[in-house]
Amino acid sequence: MAAGPKILIVDDEIVVIKSARRVLEGEGYNVEGALGGREALLEIEQNDYDLVFTDLKMPEVDGITLIRWIRKNRPSTGIVIITGYPSQDTIKEALGLGIIDYVPKPFTPAVLLDVTRRAVQWVEGEKAEEAKVDEEFPPAMAVELDRVIHEYRDKPGALIPVLQRAQEIVGYLPPVVQKRIGRGLNIPPAEVHSVVSFYSFFTMKPRGDHNIRVCLGTACYVRGIEGVLGKIKDALHIDIGDTTGDKKFSLEGVRCLGACGLAPVMVVDQETFGSITPKKALEILGRYAPAVVAPGPREEVEETVEKEG
Amino acid sequence: MSRLTTDDLQKIKQKYKDEFTLREGGYRIKVTVHMGTCGIAAGAREVMDALMDEIAKNSIQGILVASSGCAGLCGREPIATVEETGGETIKYCDLNAEKMRKIVTEHFIEGNPPRAYALPPWSDMPFFNLQKLRVLRNIGLMDPENIEEYIARDGYQAAAKALIHMTPEEIINVVKSSGLRGRGGAGFPTGLKWEFASKVQSDVKFMLCNGDEGDPGAFMDRSVMEADPHSVIEGMIIGAKAIGSHNGYIYVRAEYPLAVKRLQMAIDKAVEAGLLGENILGTGFDFGLEIYLGAGAFVCGEETALMRSIEGKRGMPRPRPPFPAHKGLWDKPSVLNNVETLAQISPVILKGADWYRSLGTEKSSGTKVFALTGTIKNVGLVEVPMGIPLRTIIHDVGGGIKKRGKFKAVQLGGPSGGCVPEHLLDTPVTYEDIVATGAIVGSGGMVVMDDNTCMVGMAKFFLEFTADESCGKCPPCRVGTRILLDILTDIAEGRGREEDIATLEDLSRDIIATSLCGLGQTAPNPVLTTIRYFRDEYESHIKHGWCKAGVCRDLCSFRIDEKLCTGCGACLRGCPSKAIVGEKKQPHKIIQELCVHCRSCYEACKFRSVKIMPAGYEGDLSELAEPAGAESSTKKGEA
Repeated sequence: MAAGPKILIVDDEIVVIKSARRVLEGEGYNVEGALGGREALLEIEQNDYDLVFTDLKMPEVDGITLIRWIRKNRPSTGIVIITGYPSQDTIKEALGLGIIDYVPKPFTPAVLLDVTRRAVQWVEGEKAEEAKVDEEFPPAMAVELDRVIHEYRDKPGALIPVLQRAQEIVGYLPPVVQKRIGRGLNIPPAEVHSVVSFYSFFTMKPRGDHNIRVCLGTACYVRGIEGVLGKIKDALHIDIGDTTGDKKFSLEGVRCLGACGLAPVMVVDQETFGSITPKKALEILGRYAPAVVAPGPREEVEETVEKEG
Repeated sequence: MSRLTTDDLQKIKQKYKDEFTLREGGYRIKVTVHMGTCGIAAGAREVMDALMDEIAKNSIQGILVASSGCAGLCGREPIATVEETGGETIKYCDLNAEKMRKIVTEHFIEGNPPRAYALPPWSDMPFFNLQKLRVLRNIGLMDPENIEEYIARDGYQAAAKALIHMTPEEIINVVKSSGLRGRGGAGFPTGLKWEFASKVQSDVKFMLCNGDEGDPGAFMDRSVMEADPHSVIEGMIIGAKAIGSHNGYIYVRAEYPLAVKRLQMAIDKAVEAGLLGENILGTGFDFGLEIYLGAGAFVCGEETALMRSIEGKRGMPRPRPPFPAHKGLWDKPSVLNNVETLAQISPVILKGADWYRSLGTEKSSGTKVFALTGTIKNVGLVEVPMGIPLRTIIHDVGGGIKKRGKFKAVQLGGPSGGCVPEHLLDTPVTYEDIVATGAIVGSGGMVVMDDNTCMVGMAKFFLEFTADESCGKCPPCRVGTRILLDILTDIAEGRGREEDIATLEDLSRDIIATSLCGLGQTAPNPVLTTIRYFRDEYESHIKHGWCKAGVCRDLCSFRIDEKLCTGCGACLRGCPSKAIVGEKKQPHKIIQELCVHCRSCYEACKFRSVKIMPAGYEGDLSELAEPAGAESSTKKGEA
């Protein structure tokens, strides 16, 4: 039995705890009870729970306080509320704190089991996802990310700056990072995603070691950026928005870098290169990764010709 | 730095005057290396390193080395300005480390400036002597990272005057009567905007600066933010006093990292000096300022979209009214001004409305900064009085067309603007006159195009931009720009139909009439102006399958005129697909099956023997008249 998901039922009425235990233990869940917020805090301090079911109206430490404490100290624990007064306001407040679901009181065994099953799935999915993140970005990144979220938490309009910093830290914004930010700032994941997908600065694909940004502004267009871009695409075998197979380079198109005096322009990482020709572009990329197609004799001729003209 | 008073401002000014005046016993020479984004990209850092290195190596005394923003003539970067006691000021251009070392030896040690690297004196260059610098007054002349240098150049005097001696009404009146209009594009009178916001009662108001310079081809705002950040901050302080705001944001594109860095530095220094924050200059007026980084969405240049973006949401515009002066950022009264507008507020306050009106025209007073780019000789930022003809800007200030091309059109106002042809070049640059041509002054991007540019391709380029950047909120813009783009693509790829031109025109008018914001309302301008002035090019694409500029690859073929070919082999050597054959000194030939239409032979031929013909054309070259590149090509081409 100990192998099953661990659940804590918090309610000031013993009858609720008893009936929930009966229903859930029958299905193989590992269930404990706590007769109030304070007892629950102590219990959770000492033991890890996958899921906490809690009443909202309790003497001393009430449900909302408990939920806040759990979100802060045990963020991976899922929370479901049990309430006899499912008024819009309380539910809304609890949802704002990141609960998974709620069970109306009194409840039937079927309802309780159904909610529990879904909540457990959610918690497991969440944990699996977090584990996956850890593989991709080291814990230090996660710590840094949380620090940034914390720093901006109370500022109005924090989402975009946090996403910008997150992209600096992680390199891109995969769904797990978006979820983590959403949770930290109390913004629904859908809204986070809506912002990420709107702005071209944000990317959900991992970038290469070196990020090439080719200016697609008017001056660069008139001065022949298309030839340069074509050459880069051919040499790296990627299109705009992609990353090379060896993760060396990724290619982006940007709307005017404001260095029109040097058109056509491209930027590699933080360095700006002006008046580039297809040949020069390859030479520049060669500095970052010497294996990139070496310019053949024919491009050299191209260059001489240009100088003559 | 401790908190400053107005007396301190004067003292700093005097101190700098004493210290930095080149005089006997002090510094003998001042060298300024211009390090804006363009300068650095062109290699200004290496030049600076070489300079420092060489001075140290030869232990030369009495040389003051300074760094500064853009010198304006971006096409000739890296540039260094050398001022000498009792001597002339020399600007060295197209520098590299080696040239700099030579300058140190020959100029500073031997006293014999290497003229070959120098620009002619300012007075001899129309690029400089036709300009009137107001917005760009400090640019390239001071270190943007040093607040004292700004103060020494009358910085924060206007803020002091406005905060101590003027009421909000007085400030608004001066700005109103100066006739200053918003330089971001629409040209709305700045004073009026401030008046609206000042009359609204609210505990919180916002003073905002739009540094989201999205128009491709415009970069004056970047240059101002990089080279003179304090002028923007000072303009905002004065605006804040006028409307009664105590909080402000500068919204800057993330694509401008150097501008962000210098602005942040400037804000920090200003806070330290008590010129921002609480109790500014001891006057009791509070104004806090923060930078907000954009995230790459063109539509965020629109005021309501920009405010949504600061709120941390998708930057989508909303219908107006209510106008931001009543309900703006977080539903509070807000004023949004462009960087260039704000940068000229302080001289307006110091010198008055009449001074401002002394340049420009009745309705478009003052000066405007233009970013001259494209196939023009003097690429760079120029500030000219409004009302001067386009021709003067392009041919005199800009030095005309580069290389052997011929002027075809100038694109004004970016994706919201239009292409102005040769015969309208005498149009004076005022808001109204430019609108009459179908273009707009806009933010001031001026991209000059020669006859190697295809106008259908140009319209397509801009529609690709606007279709991509449309936020998607309103269907006329979202769907309409996409359909315009599809039709233009068809024309450019040889699938055009005769009725397409009329469809483009009708649809354009509908999009203009029904779109929600400025993006959609102006997106069809590039299409309408190119049809209006270059209809023959559209027709040539559709009817004859002929892109005379040789840009639309499916609609051209390259042929060598045997009568003109000298057999020099330049085209043959440059051909990437080895499609050209011919013996030396014998006429060459292009094997059409192998040609990929890359234009390299066309550009390589000094004798203009490579001709651009319709796709698959096999007839005699003389039957169709001269294609693009030759005089009066278009009309004859139709015959």
